[in-house]
Amino acid sequence: MSRDTTSDTDRRTYLSVAGATGLAAFAGCVSTTDTEEDAGGDSDGDGEADAGGEDDAASDDADESTSTESYQIGMVDSLTGSLSAFGERNQRGVELALGRVNEQGIDGRDLELIVEDSESENQGGIAAAQKLVNQDEVPFLIGAVGSGVSLAIYESVTQGTDVVQLSQNSTGLNLTDFPGLLRMSPSGRTQSLALANLIAEDGYDEVAITYVNNDYGQSLTDAFVDAWDGDVVYNTPHDQEQQSYSGIVAEMNDSGADAWLFIAYQAEFTTMVNEVYSSGYEAQFYGADSVSGDSVLANTPEGSMDGMKIVVPSAPVEEANYQTFAADFEAEYGQEPTSWAAYAYDCVINAALAIQAADEFTGAALTDTVRRVSGPEGETVTSFEAASEILADGGGPDDVDYQGVSGPIDFNEAGDPVGFLQILEVQDHEYAGTGFIEG
Amino acid sequence: MTVLGYVANGLVFSSIIVLGSIGLSLVYSIADFANFAHGDTMTVGAYAALVTFGAVGSLGGAVLGLPYGFFLALFIGVAAGAAVAVVTERLIYEPLSVDSIGLLITSIGVAFVYRAVIQIGFGADFTRFEIGALRPIEWLIPYGIRVTRHDVAIVASAVVLVVGLHLLLQYTDLGRKMRAMADNPTLARVSGIRTRRIRYWTWVIGAGLAAAGGVFLGLFNQLSPRMGFNLLLVIFAAVILGGIGSVYGAMLGGFLIGMINQLTPLLSRLGEVLPLVPDGFGIPIGIEYANAIAFVIMVAVLLARPTGIAGEEAV
Repeated sequence: MSRDTTSDTDRRTYLSVAGATGLAAFAGCVSTTDTEEDAGGDSDGDGEADAGGEDDAASDDADESTSTESYQIGMVDSLTGSLSAFGERNQRGVELALGRVNEQGIDGRDLELIVEDSESENQGGIAAAQKLVNQDEVPFLIGAVGSGVSLAIYESVTQGTDVVQLSQNSTGLNLTDFPGLLRMSPSGRTQSLALANLIAEDGYDEVAITYVNNDYGQSLTDAFVDAWDGDVVYNTPHDQEQQSYSGIVAEMNDSGADAWLFIAYQAEFTTMVNEVYSSGYEAQFYGADSVSGDSVLANTPEGSMDGMKIVVPSAPVEEANYQTFAADFEAEYGQEPTSWAAYAYDCVINAALAIQAADEFTGAALTDTVRRVSGPEGETVTSFEAASEILADGGGPDDVDYQGVSGPIDFNEAGDPVGFLQILEVQDHEYAGTGFIEG
Repeated sequence: MTVLGYVANGLVFSSIIVLGSIGLSLVYSIADFANFAHGDTMTVGAYAALVTFGAVGSLGGAVLGLPYGFFLALFIGVAAGAAVAVVTERLIYEPLSVDSIGLLITSIGVAFVYRAVIQIGFGADFTRFEIGALRPIEWLIPYGIRVTRHDVAIVASAVVLVVGLHLLLQYTDLGRKMRAMADNPTLARVSGIRTRRIRYWTWVIGAGLAAAGGVFLGLFNQLSPRMGFNLLLVIFAAVILGGIGSVYGAMLGGFLIGMINQLTPLLSRLGEVLPLVPDGFGIPIGIEYANAIAFVIMVAVLLARPTGIAGEEAV
């Protein structure tokens, strides 16, 4: 750990001296591959330079006076790498949330978020978190996107300290086993549970499953089988990018089950639907969120999936607070928000409320308040402004129940939120929302 | 699904593999290297056909559920595949004075270039021809066979192309020269055959067949920049199983590998299928291992017959 800290110090020195060139030294230290270093170079360099700049200014100030300056918390995000699309969505949500918080202020002080890049990889995530926790000494860390990265940060940086870690986008099932690691996005398990209930409610007692042969497919399927009371008459993985899945669909048909569950990716699922159609099989389809997409609709015959039900993690899009958020988001960025932006937004708001409710700006105090400000007790509020007013009027953390734009939050003992899922049904070859499930 | 049903599926899938493997084997026999860009040549053909079909539309009538425009697109796709291969040969393979390993590695680079160009032009996402999917042919369903008229068209086209190639190789001047050159290039050149021209023709035929396979693969499944590359390993297995360098071996190998791939589900219920095996007996192996099984069989055949089924005895 100390070695990494040293390398971070090196990097900071470099940054202040030579700006973005420092990145090369840093990247060399954490031994990423050359291509990634090049690819990530520019944007990363900018992000680091910005964050470093703020951090320098702020920590200098902090040395002089501690009372009126901004509260600093950290965020590890996928600004580059394979999950950078999520990082981009996150940053929009984060900016919007910071705007909300700082319009109001936390007891007259601003909230400042130091963002570091994980490069979407464990190594990068750990280095970023170490910088934030050890150097910037943030008591609250939002991070990360990928489940593996979140867990790596938890195990090597925040576990055993009193720093609060709140993951913005991780949905991996195994995060549930680490109660100290909070997350804003629902676990994949809620999806599996919802599917099991949905299929049972529709009156089926036999199901045939095929899942994509990787961690995602396997873990969702295992959770489904655990939750499912009926018979699983067929349960077979399929590899990605095969040229034919006619054997799989023939076997699903032979299994005799009338309900078929696909935990697959879009391209493979599209092939399967076409093969089911051109083989003339009939079944009630169900799917995990990964099977839905416009390209699936565009490349399957009209009517081939009608009646299919898909469960997707979703913000409660019919709630007024989500609609306000969506309108603000569209005004700001000219596009509709994704659920991932909503999760990041709620992370920041939740953090800000935890800070306001806490007696002091320490990890121990925030650990106590972070769950309580959005927990089920207290007056239900849907905006930072309203929640902040209650706290300012002398309310305690249990007097507010912040309802996020992404859902009711209400972290459980395992640190997972109450998942909010939407059921989509394919009607006339379009996805239509037919209802919501609270996990 | 019945055994007949699986066999029918196998036939369709084999047709595509056969078209791919013939070209690979042909190019190996004459240009003397394993062309890793072969799979991406299939992709090139498929996308050229996609563009053509998008431009010309259906052109009125239809045969076997396929509009006339599709056959024009198929022709253009084949031409595009052949043209790209010939240009690559002219600009890259021919001027390179490296051994066959050097050419093999070069062809991997060429494959990346083909794929990248397609990905730049069409994006990484998958797509399909604008031809409505068909329902299975009704009167075959009682026999447990669930194929569409498109599948019939794929098999029929493959048969026509394979028979055409057979006639070309056996009964035309070009075919004789190609066979002579495959047997002994030096002797062929000494006896007055213009080997360079024959090489070009080999590329035209090999890449053209691959492109046709790519177009049918797009019809059978979907088009994506990686479609041909994903099939390449299976095609190599087919070619090696049949005996690399042998065109007829490639046909047989492609047929067998395609069949094995699609018949895998039967392994777990051998008892019901085979007459002398007790019911309930089966090799409990999942369908996700279809390719692995095909490769195990390939290795087994090679152990027994190192040159492949139709390969010539080692010199």
